[in-house]
Amino acid sequence: MTANFDGRNASHIGITGYTLTSCVGTGRDAHLDAMAASRSGLTPCAYPDLPFDCYVGHVAGLETMQFPAGVSDFDNRANRLALSALQSDGFLEAAGKMRERWGADRCGVILGTSTSGIEKLESVYRARARNDDPLPDDYVMSHNDNHQAVAAFTQKYLGVSGPSYTISTACSSSAKALIDATQLIEAGFCDAVVVGGVDTLCLISLNGFEAMQLVSREPCRPCDAARNGLSIGEAAGFLIIERDHNDCIRLSGMGESSDGVSMSTPPKDGAGAAVAMRAALAGAGINPDQIGYVNLHGTATPTNDTAECAAVSNVFGSHTPASSLKGMLGHTLGAAGAVEAIMCIIALEENLIPGNTGLGELDPEISCNIVAHARPAELSHVVSNAFGFGGSNCALLFSQ
Amino acid sequence: MTAIRLYLNKVAFSGPDLDSWETLSGILDNDSPLGKAAEWDPSPAILSARSARRVTPQIRLALTVAEQLGDSLGSDAGWVFASSVGEGETLHVILEALRSPDMMIQPLRFQNAVHNAAAGQWSIAAGITGPMTSIAALDQTAGAGFLKAALQVSREERPVGLVVYDVPMPEPLNAKRPLGVPLGVGFSLSPTSSQDTFATIDTTLCREPPTRPSRLASKALETTGNPVSDFLPLLEVLSGVTTGQVVLGLHGGSALRLDVSAA
Repeated sequence: MTANFDGRNASHIGITGYTLTSCVGTGRDAHLDAMAASRSGLTPCAYPDLPFDCYVGHVAGLETMQFPAGVSDFDNRANRLALSALQSDGFLEAAGKMRERWGADRCGVILGTSTSGIEKLESVYRARARNDDPLPDDYVMSHNDNHQAVAAFTQKYLGVSGPSYTISTACSSSAKALIDATQLIEAGFCDAVVVGGVDTLCLISLNGFEAMQLVSREPCRPCDAARNGLSIGEAAGFLIIERDHNDCIRLSGMGESSDGVSMSTPPKDGAGAAVAMRAALAGAGINPDQIGYVNLHGTATPTNDTAECAAVSNVFGSHTPASSLKGMLGHTLGAAGAVEAIMCIIALEENLIPGNTGLGELDPEISCNIVAHARPAELSHVVSNAFGFGGSNCALLFSQ
Repeated sequence: MTAIRLYLNKVAFSGPDLDSWETLSGILDNDSPLGKAAEWDPSPAILSARSARRVTPQIRLALTVAEQLGDSLGSDAGWVFASSVGEGETLHVILEALRSPDMMIQPLRFQNAVHNAAAGQWSIAAGITGPMTSIAALDQTAGAGFLKAALQVSREERPVGLVVYDVPMPEPLNAKRPLGVPLGVGFSLSPTSSQDTFATIDTTLCREPPTRPSRLASKALETTGNPVSDFLPLLEVLSGVTTGQVVLGLHGGSALRLDVSAA
């Protein structure tokens, strides 16, 4: 499961820019503020017609933002969410410099998403009078619900034309996108890659997780003794990774594994999660005790948190600080991997361990060192986990 | 950029009246036309009849291709699944359910709505514990799948099973994106040569136009609109195991150049 690093980061790939939007706000500063205060962005769901109550990580203001005329055929909630991130944190300027430095053909776009712009297809389907009515003439799948739609928008908006595709492995999607982006540069197929994840709130995700009895009626409480399910969120996160950049935070290790027992259930001991984390450590050549923080996938469902924490204790021992960001951001599904990776990069930059927002009483079954409230700490290496349906596990290791 | 050298150990193919690579290869080699195919629903041997009924034609097709490759790949192999629309049937069923006020979705449907449902079902059925991924790139999904497989073979120095599949969606989705017929193609790729190797494929990036198919059967499959048919020019070269060059399109304007040589 260990990726071959060919002398470990021989291409000197560094993370030269990033940006994100979630329910706590737009851009780095809003996320640092929320992280420092362990503040939740979850709010009561105001989704029209939803037949149950829950809390969600909703991004306000997307409906009213100006969508650029040149790409108006891509106008949907997912691309608006992407746009709100792309227009923050000086990302457009950074992407412009990237394009100038390497040439548009040498810059790839690799995104992860589970639902892309499917929210628009939902409303188009529901607006039909009868089940056998066709979809409206002006509805275009390639720009909306197709998995590649947000990547296609991103390519066009940023004016880059290197290789592009979309990873869609449910909730590990955009964590795995970082692996593909890295491999594209290592193989010499790209010099830089814009990589990230985008997923919006939509009726499919909300009703689907509700059907599985996994949606909490209150803001989710990862690792809490009384946790009773997840809160779904929406978010977008983008990073620029480039070769020949030694001096920045880097993705130093990455691990993947599969361990599906059924489509939605991991094994109780988190066996595959442990394999992925060990592979990330091995790839980076780093010992478990050098890891200063583990960002848990931590969805706040009763079974998943216990299994993951068993795996984390197994790999790192029970002392390594760990927490879940889901109580702050909600579970942003296919965007979680990239967005939480960016949160880990902010944590490294600020030497700040994020807290486990929403935690009241720690579940005695949870065996790892859960950090309830954000606190300062010298950080050199952090691990970020993302797991998805189908037993799709991914662990990323970031270093400075 | 150094070319990625891939050693090709096995090809898999599944489509209506085309149950294997050997069948298609014979048709391509003789440049025979395709007959009119009967209605066809793939049934992978790895699933029991009961399990098969619980999954979509999309998943059954992908598993049919994957199991053709299975015995050529060890437990250390990575698996890349690629599909331009993924679980179209499940998507339609769920979207229809959202039209009723209770918005009731079957839990099993939801679990299998994810794009990696086929990959997940394959990992569960075949007991795979290594890395698996599931990717999409609209009309260039075949190229994207091949690119990811090549990256994984070379960067992780492991064999990779690549499974590319697409099945037409129900109406009204089909009218917006007709895919014609179900098609699945698979490749068993390795970083090293073995006695099973029958071709090498050197893979580089280029900006040339994609190669078009030239044989009767492959031209007929190209007109279906199924993006899996992008592989037909490569399959034409492989059917004769001759030396040849094939360009496979990528999303965004670049492309892969595949230099094929008989092993």
